[in-house]
Amino acid sequence: MAVTPEQVLDAILTEGVRAAEARAGSIGVVSEDGERIELLAQIGYRPEVMEDWQEFRVDAPTPMSDVIRTGEPIFISSVQERNRLYPSLAQVGQEDGHALVVVPLAVEGRVFGAISLSFDHDIEFEPERREMKIALARQAAQAITRSRLYAAEQAMRERMTFLAEASQLLASSLDYNRTLRRLAQLCVPRLADWCAIDMVDEDGGIERLAVAHEDPEKVKWAYELQERYPPDPDAQRGVPQVLRSGEPDFLPTIPEQLLEDAIGDDHELRRIVDELGLKSSIAVPLIARGRTLGALSLIAAERHPVFTAADLELAIELGRRAAVAVDNARLYREAERGANAARALAYVADGVVLLDRDGTVRHWNPAAAAITGVSEDDALGRPVAEVVPAWDSLTTHVQLLAPGSAPRPVTVPIVVGGHERWVAVSGVKFGGGTVYALQDVTEERALEKTRSDFVATASHELRTPLAAVYGAVRTLRRDDVQLSESDKAQFLEMIESEATRLAKIVDQILVAGQLDAGAVELELTECNPAEVAAGVIESAATHVPESISLSLDAREPPQIACDPNKLRQVLVNLVDNAVKYSPDGGAVVLRVRGDNGSCRIDVLDEGLGIPSGEQSRIFEKFYRLDPQQTHGVGGSGLGLYICKELVERMDGRLTVESEPGKGSRFSVVLPVRA
Amino acid sequence: MVDDERAIRLLCRVNLAASGMEVIEAADGRAGLELARKERPDLVLLDVMMPDVDGWTVARELAEGMETRDIPVVFLTARADTADKRLGEQLGGVGYLVKPFDPVAIGDYVEDVLSRIERGEREQLRREISSGRER
Repeated sequence: MAVTPEQVLDAILTEGVRAAEARAGSIGVVSEDGERIELLAQIGYRPEVMEDWQEFRVDAPTPMSDVIRTGEPIFISSVQERNRLYPSLAQVGQEDGHALVVVPLAVEGRVFGAISLSFDHDIEFEPERREMKIALARQAAQAITRSRLYAAEQAMRERMTFLAEASQLLASSLDYNRTLRRLAQLCVPRLADWCAIDMVDEDGGIERLAVAHEDPEKVKWAYELQERYPPDPDAQRGVPQVLRSGEPDFLPTIPEQLLEDAIGDDHELRRIVDELGLKSSIAVPLIARGRTLGALSLIAAERHPVFTAADLELAIELGRRAAVAVDNARLYREAERGANAARALAYVADGVVLLDRDGTVRHWNPAAAAITGVSEDDALGRPVAEVVPAWDSLTTHVQLLAPGSAPRPVTVPIVVGGHERWVAVSGVKFGGGTVYALQDVTEERALEKTRSDFVATASHELRTPLAAVYGAVRTLRRDDVQLSESDKAQFLEMIESEATRLAKIVDQILVAGQLDAGAVELELTECNPAEVAAGVIESAATHVPESISLSLDAREPPQIACDPNKLRQVLVNLVDNAVKYSPDGGAVVLRVRGDNGSCRIDVLDEGLGIPSGEQSRIFEKFYRLDPQQTHGVGGSGLGLYICKELVERMDGRLTVESEPGKGSRFSVVLPVRA
Repeated sequence: MVDDERAIRLLCRVNLAASGMEVIEAADGRAGLELARKERPDLVLLDVMMPDVDGWTVARELAEGMETRDIPVVFLTARADTADKRLGEQLGGVGYLVKPFDPVAIGDYVEDVLSRIERGEREQLRREISSGRER
């Protein structure tokens, strides 16, 4: 059974020549573009006669051209008649030329070729003999058409199978570089002798991703060649042009001149090109979502027949599918990368804000939401100036840096929910927009402020006793004035007490520092809290103003485990405070009681009291009830902080209850000794 | 002399007395205001950080009172910040002494201030508070 159209043609011609008792015959078929006639089969002619007649124009002055153009058969009885009708053929096959018959091959009225038969004698064609030739041609035409249809169907099926295989391959992995390399392999030798895939990289350059040929040696060679003769990215043909235009470039026959131009005077290159034997080329773009991602090139060389329009169509479809696969893989990877980045940023304590070039919010992590008070949902996709109205003032002083530079944050205040927050902002500009890092430094700043407040406070506190000591010494040394004995005694006493006061303030600063560093060691021993309290009252009684009535109220308290020196220090401080904050006098009571497995020591006064909003803060380091400190009740801002730290280090608690204007109760609760 | 610190009052009293001046004292802002209104002293030495009514308040009220507005006020305080000095100037002070100070020189200082006020340099004295001229 005849399988290829060529075999069918040969069989028909052989049979036709035999049946017609002809000497020779040929079958010509109109080319796809309809301009030429190709001799697809021939039999019985001497090769040297046919050499120039493998292909000729449809409008050439030949019998076959006329038959194909007119659709009417031509019967010529002798070579004389032929030469008369076709003078230009006078030199062709003169010696053995006799009768000639050319009949059209047509299907459904459309002429697609002609069959010609040459005889070895002159013949006057009788009508019935003519009919026979025409009938023969009709049968031949049907057979040819059938086989052509079959071949076309076969080719179509092959293409579909190939596309299906390619699609399966493209869908097999998200590693599109690897997939595309395998796709190139798949194309040879079924689609072409050579297949190459070039991709556009991030900088717009062209990167050769794959070259495939049946022979791996040739592939190696192709890469070497590419290295030695890098393609001109501005070339007006081939891949560069396809990438620029997004249009396929199809050369059914690579023009000789094109190769000549490329070769120039390079002998080595000429040798290579000759060896390659390039015949036909197709380059198609890989386009997805309007973007040209790369190009797929096919070349027919030593084995593959020249490419047809069907091949181009297949290549375009293949390019389209490859592009979609690459695009999907890239989108997936980007989405995955984005998701991972978002996951990581969700746990970063700094606010991270990504704005695109238009200033639209593209990322807004939870920390950014917390700092600005605007949720991610409310921020994403909106212009940042709408999301945070103060954004401009927030970032106006931020110097945007290039990626990789050390950040230079600028600290600025913003108001969130009515509260002022201090935010350290730094920004980095990159191709796709700007990334801002926001750090909430409100607490650091507050701490910094309390520290500097403390320095100011400490210096105020030190200045007064210093003034007293210095002033007393200066006055005592005056020789122009006679001081009374009582004045002298007062000045000496002043020096002593103010120096003690100085020492105490300095001490507190030191202790607070030690507590911070964990350097205070406590000796927990069994002790009687009533005894400690009694000692505190005794020493305090020597210097409290007369307006204060100081008393101890201790009823059979339990033994406790504590450092008695540190407990004394705490109680002295609390009693001093009680006295200090009772400028109008009143009772100050030190009360000691057993209380449900613990011991409770209260220091009660009837003084100024503490506003409820401040009660929880007075134990903070450097916190002062009166930060302006214009009301003179001095202190380092460390007393209560030290007390609380010490009590907690003895496993106890220090708390306060107070009502402004009525007085305060500070309570130390310590565990009973086990 | 208005100061809650007994030691400072004592220092000023002894040294000003040595210059032949009479010193009357108050231990807090409220008492100081009352005393100034009643006695109309030639000059008030005024501490700032005092319980209840502070020195700023005293100065402001003295400046607002018809009978007391002309009494020159010299602040004598541990507050050394520029902002504090500027406030002292705004409140109409004619001098600003920062603790620790030299009590031996205080008599001459007060005499100098009073004679310059007599020469009509009160406004100039006021401006000198925050102009950085140290006493």
